[in-house]
Amino acid sequence: MTAPPWLELLDDTIRACAAHARPDLAQRLRRQRARLLDPALHILVIGESGQGKSQLINALVNAPVCPVGDDLTTTVPTFVRHAESPGATLVLDPAALTPRTATGALPALRRVPVPIDEIPRQVGRRSGAHRDAELVSAEIGIPRKLLAAGLVLIDTPASGHPHTRPAVDSLAALDQADAVLLVSDATHELSDTELTLLRRVAATCPNILVVLSKIDLSPRWRQVAERNRARLDSNGLPVTLVPASATLRLEATRTGDAALNQESGFPNLIGLLHQEMTGKPDVLARRSVAVVGGSALAQLVVTLREQQAASDSSPASAALADRGDVQRAIDELRRRSTRWQTMLADDMADLVSDVEHDMRDRTRKILREVDRVFDDADPVLSWDAFEDWLAEHLADAADTNFAWLVERSRWIADRLAQYFPGRPGGETSAARLVFPEDLTGGVGALERPRLERFTAGQKAFTALRNSYGGVLMFGLITSLAGMPLLNAISLGAGAAFGGKGIKDEADSRLKRRQAAAKAAAQRHVDDFFLAVSKDSRDTIRRVQRTLRDHFTALAEELQQALVEAATEARRAALTEAAQQERRQRQAQQGVAELVALHQRVQSLAGQQAAPQHHGSLEISA
Amino acid sequence: MTLDEAVWGALNEAAALYRGNPRATNWLGHQLERFAEPVRIAVAGQQKSGKSTLVNAIVGEQIAPIELSDGTQVPTWYRDGAPPRASLVTRNGAAQDVPVDRVDRRLRIDLRSWPPPQVERISVDWPSRALRGATLIDTPACPPSAAERLAREADAVLYLTRHLHGTDTQSLESLQHPPLASAGPVNAILVLSHADELGASRIDALSAAKRVARRYRADVQVSPLCQNVVAVAGLLAHTARTLREHEFGALSALAGTPRAALDGALLSADRFAGTDFPAAVSQEIRQELLNRFGVFGVRLAVTLIRTGCHNQAALTAELVQRSGLAELRESIGQCFTERREVLKARSALLALEDVLRMEPHPGAARLTAHLERVLASAHEFRELRLTAALQCGRTTLPDGLDLEAQRLLGAAGTGVHARLGVAEAATGSELRQLAVDVVDRWRVQAENPLFTARQRQAAATVVRSCEGMVARLVAERG
Repeated sequence: MTAPPWLELLDDTIRACAAHARPDLAQRLRRQRARLLDPALHILVIGESGQGKSQLINALVNAPVCPVGDDLTTTVPTFVRHAESPGATLVLDPAALTPRTATGALPALRRVPVPIDEIPRQVGRRSGAHRDAELVSAEIGIPRKLLAAGLVLIDTPASGHPHTRPAVDSLAALDQADAVLLVSDATHELSDTELTLLRRVAATCPNILVVLSKIDLSPRWRQVAERNRARLDSNGLPVTLVPASATLRLEATRTGDAALNQESGFPNLIGLLHQEMTGKPDVLARRSVAVVGGSALAQLVVTLREQQAASDSSPASAALADRGDVQRAIDELRRRSTRWQTMLADDMADLVSDVEHDMRDRTRKILREVDRVFDDADPVLSWDAFEDWLAEHLADAADTNFAWLVERSRWIADRLAQYFPGRPGGETSAARLVFPEDLTGGVGALERPRLERFTAGQKAFTALRNSYGGVLMFGLITSLAGMPLLNAISLGAGAAFGGKGIKDEADSRLKRRQAAAKAAAQRHVDDFFLAVSKDSRDTIRRVQRTLRDHFTALAEELQQALVEAATEARRAALTEAAQQERRQRQAQQGVAELVALHQRVQSLAGQQAAPQHHGSLEISA
Repeated sequence: MTLDEAVWGALNEAAALYRGNPRATNWLGHQLERFAEPVRIAVAGQQKSGKSTLVNAIVGEQIAPIELSDGTQVPTWYRDGAPPRASLVTRNGAAQDVPVDRVDRRLRIDLRSWPPPQVERISVDWPSRALRGATLIDTPACPPSAAERLAREADAVLYLTRHLHGTDTQSLESLQHPPLASAGPVNAILVLSHADELGASRIDALSAAKRVARRYRADVQVSPLCQNVVAVAGLLAHTARTLREHEFGALSALAGTPRAALDGALLSADRFAGTDFPAAVSQEIRQELLNRFGVFGVRLAVTLIRTGCHNQAALTAELVQRSGLAELRESIGQCFTERREVLKARSALLALEDVLRMEPHPGAARLTAHLERVLASAHEFRELRLTAALQCGRTTLPDGLDLEAQRLLGAAGTGVHARLGVAEAATGSELRQLAVDVVDRWRVQAENPLFTARQRQAAATVVRSCEGMVARLVAERG
């Protein structure tokens, strides 16, 4: 036996989906394929709340298997299928209530067999009734001739009801359905929400029946049916509408009243279901494949065309972007090299002036200290100590100043390195700086000034010279009183005058010595300053030169690398353009193949008057 | 100053402020007029949800729907007034009287000379006791997006639905006007309007529908959106109120036929109206009965006559009672008519807010502040806000206190008796004693250290309501 044409086409479509990297579509189609090959006919019963979906199923199988109630009753999809003996199973999902385990594995669904008369209670219960797992669906097996041929009826929770959980919304189960029964009661016409629901369903499942339920309640059901038919037609939904009454059917089977049974509209409905059943391998499958395969192919073509359009508008975009990047990097480097050079020159000039100013400041402080000391102290007594003190302080000042210089140089080096981010050379540049060991080597020792001492002979002479005046002055005055020239008074005055003379002389000599010492210190400090500042300038110049050389080399290296990259990018762009062209050719070929396939799929539907759907794109044109 | 006076004052102040602005003056004039009118209740819902039937049932006469010449509908206002007259408001705002006629006990309005697109709304004056306390607005089926406009025109809404659907909850949500949502009370009643069609119209469908309504009342998704949920069989209620003698006669004849024979004929509408019928009732009359009662109505009426309603008055009373109309009327009274003052104040404040927003005026700052003060300080609003919070669980009180609090806040009726939960027969002194007790008890709760700040505040609001009651009772005695 050869495979029917629709199967072949479906397989081709699945292959196309897989080839164009859409495993999701392929997966969906594979599920559809399995469903179409399955001889069972799954019929999904959908509708808004209170339309009588569950009662319709009960009337079809003539047993109260689905719960019927006044408010929202059916909470999960319920599968009714044939079985040798009545039985029911609840399908529980432990994962819905427990968080995912650490490994991410989902606990498997649990199946719990329950007595069949327990089902209405279990399914009608609000969710969360099972302590550790959520009820996801229920399955009921019941021996019925109608179901024996493989008919499976799926009762669903009301769509659109605020209490229906989105996860169990009837559309979620649509994938598994061969045909859909929309139940709408005869007391009112199809509402806008019901039409929206129908349109959504038609995009996935083309086999739809609308059941007008509860015709026993409405005196005007014939008008309602007429209006509904007109409404469906005007909305482009050529579906069959079947009036039926579950109440009458149940009553008819209870009493065995054949006329009432006919009146209930169920024989008609069952006839239609049988027709679907026998037509499944061919008509129904062809229609399904046309819709499902067509929409999958349309999606593929749309994606491919979009890709094509995108690549047309920007050929070899990645490579171009690369080239642009390289060019930008080169420009940036050029801009940066001017900047870093200027900065180096500026920083170094600043450093020279700062270092010199610092040194001058320190030496002046020392000199002020010297002045203060020699205002009081006698250089003769303290010269040696002073000499040590001065040398030490000058060395200190020079060291501190030098340390600062070194630190500043390193800082400048670091700052420059920032212009070369990501380059290892930048960080080591500071380490490459070489500084002289000692800066004060070139300065001579402090020269000792000539310090006059006040000797004993000089003291005697000074005393004599001053006392002479005193003796004479007072001798003459006292001689008027008849006293001899040399008397006690004149001798006393002479002694006093002599003493004062000695003191005055000593003071003036001290002053002279202090001035000399100050002058000597000043000279020495000046010399020292000169020498040190010369050294620092030299050092700074050396540093500048080292840094300049280092960073110039670095920049050159970078530039070299960038130029190479530019060449590489150009080459890559060329290659990519070639590849792009090849890909485009392939894509065009792919689209052509898909369009051909789509035409075949469409023609499959065309073999019989299949409905045209909004979902199918006009891609064959 | 009561809320009434405060709002009236604010409206007049606004009218003075906008004296030079004809559009605003016109609008404010409307509002002042509206403030003095009865409550406006809009009857809204999806198509075929039974809006016009319910209007007829409440009024007790066949006055709705009024269709334009192309079969479409526009909002129709029903007001109390004699003699019957109708006026039509066109799109450009002009009002025009149209001839009214009463044919075959139905209201007939000649609209043939009016092209439908021009008509904005129709206003009908009809002498009726039911309309004295409230103006009813029969609206065409509205999508959720149009619900907000509806909420502006009407002070309160009866929202009808067959089976609760997602679009219904959306509509109800948009009825809660956002800017005043915190201030405005929930002003809607959800009506399950086709209670007789529940459960394949078996004989206990109405009690089942009442059970469903009770369940929705406690539902977390529904209860914040409406003040009450009521199940009503609109068609049955309307028919019961307009029951005619020959109809009663036909029903009695049906009830007289042997049950076994009749049951088969009552199985479906087709059989009931068919040619082969066991009782001596003509096919024409049976068809009429079917249109007026529905299958369920016929079944119920026949059963009632068999079980004891032997005259027309008894049957009418029983049918009205069972149809849920009595409960609906009571609920409308409690939630809308008795709260007229608050609902009116809310509508007026909404309108004022609109004027202040649309027509900015340099001198309006004082008025805006006044408006905010009224909104924030009116105890009536605070009561409603707290009631809503308690109903939807935003605020909770332990041990049944929340139910008592709701009652004291006037959720079950704003009269003293309803608030205290005692029979109407209770005398003044008993009421006073009870009220003082309640005040004392709630004062303790208002300082309960185990409560959160919000709960203490809620208790304080209850105390304030009770104090108001005591003051009223004392004043009555004096």
